[in-house]
Amino acid sequence: VTGAVPGRPVPVPDPLSAPYWAAAARHVLTVARCSLCQGYSIPPGQTCEQCGSTDPQFAFTPVSGRGVIRSWTVMHQSFLPGFDADLPFTLVDVELAEQAELRMIGRLLNRPEAPLRVGTPVTVAFEDVAAGVSVPAFSLAEG
Amino acid sequence: MRGKMAASGKVAIAGYAHSAVTRHAPRPLGALAVDVARQAIADAGLTLEQVDGIVTAALFPTVGAHAIEDGISTVTSNWMAGHLGARPRYAAGFQGMGQLSGAVALAVNAIVSGAADYVLLYRALYNPPGRYHGNPMTEATGPNQWAAPAGFFGPMAMIALPYNEYLQRYGATRQDMAAVVTEARKNGARIPWSYWHKRALSREEYLAAPMIADPVGRYDCDIPVDGVAAFILTSRERALDLPHRPVQVAGYASGVPPRRRLPMHWPLDDLMGVGQQTARQLWENTGIGPQEVDLPQVYDGFSPFVWFWLEVLGCCPVGEAHRFVTGGGIDSDRPDALPALSGGGALGNGRMHGVPQMLECYLQLSGRAGGRQREGAAVGVACQSSPHYGGAVMYTAEPT
Repeated sequence: VTGAVPGRPVPVPDPLSAPYWAAAARHVLTVARCSLCQGYSIPPGQTCEQCGSTDPQFAFTPVSGRGVIRSWTVMHQSFLPGFDADLPFTLVDVELAEQAELRMIGRLLNRPEAPLRVGTPVTVAFEDVAAGVSVPAFSLAEG
Repeated sequence: MRGKMAASGKVAIAGYAHSAVTRHAPRPLGALAVDVARQAIADAGLTLEQVDGIVTAALFPTVGAHAIEDGISTVTSNWMAGHLGARPRYAAGFQGMGQLSGAVALAVNAIVSGAADYVLLYRALYNPPGRYHGNPMTEATGPNQWAAPAGFFGPMAMIALPYNEYLQRYGATRQDMAAVVTEARKNGARIPWSYWHKRALSREEYLAAPMIADPVGRYDCDIPVDGVAAFILTSRERALDLPHRPVQVAGYASGVPPRRRLPMHWPLDDLMGVGQQTARQLWENTGIGPQEVDLPQVYDGFSPFVWFWLEVLGCCPVGEAHRFVTGGGIDSDRPDALPALSGGGALGNGRMHGVPQMLECYLQLSGRAGGRQREGAAVGVACQSSPHYGGAVMYTAEPT
């Protein structure tokens, strides 16, 4: 339709990332883990940055989904027009529990009652953005 | 310690030219760039035939869905050579981050090695029609798939995260940042070619402007512009025979990111950790220490970079830059301050991507800063981009 606002960008799985997005569609958060050193990498790449292997054979391993907020920003404009209807929204920079400095970024889905702080615990949540496509996000942890 | 780099002090800036900085130039960027290149060659007292090196960094720094067209949205060194009518022995473009500092390094290396004797170095910046960073992508492939589907995309969110880390860690506030941006705009208002000429910004206007990616507001971001700057570099010996006082390149250093991150994820500890290494490398490469720098020109494409660079350069202790600036530490009207934004920076000129920092070092150290001239300015550092990806170049008024 002419003039329609484009939707949110959906991930296009590739040979490396396909297991990640398949798990996300089941609302399971996984992280690429090197088959040699068992270190986690976000995002996975051509080598393992933990051990330097050029053939890490990353396995997307389910993780706890728990982490703490290291930083955040409240988006009042998005350069992706598919997010315009969601403005303003909060992005959180989360250090996952599984490994120091293992950080990912997602939307914070529930509106905080108290001001956010560095160290606030969060748990993974999922947004179903298209048929068979879910994107990891975060919610403030209970209690 | 390896000692200072072999090229230290051997290359000098011999002249420059700068276009007006406008939202949209009346002619194509390439035409503007050719004009500015010719003006710079004349300013240095040279003819086109003498220019045997052409260097730039041609990146159009946007995440928007814009076509890249040589001569329109970007100006590569080969395009410049052809349209200028030059026949250089050496033409090259710097590909990494810290575009202008990286291009200076290419020029220095070419001159010291003998690949070229007189290098035209320029940077051409383009502001496209429509939203500068707007991108209607509906599918995220490759590295983007790990960030864009969650709404993490573009440089404002990129800088907002480490900026907020800084605010939380050191108890700084947006009110403190007002002192940075008003200083940049005060200085930019005094520069005739600046987009913000005669338009200073008040603290109240700064704080009232719309938020983009809280804590980043409108005036924390440099405004996209059309603009071109060009410099002529040559050996110090050859520069002594040219009309203007040479400004020596004492050395350069660049950062290398510490680890893999999501696209545009720049945690504060990455920025500062590598930035401090970059600064140490600069002191080692030049044999000149931080206490000797009287003209630090910090990068300010986004205002938080000012605090980060002030700290990595040792202008103030880590975690203190917000207090240092609010206390008048970079006030260009105070003779005892470090005038870190005296050239107006990008916040005070427009999105010229490292040009204001390099140009201010050149103008002050060559004695060509006119009414803004600072007596006794001897050692300048021009920074570009983030401390962990970008670079810095040191310039001196006297031979080293």
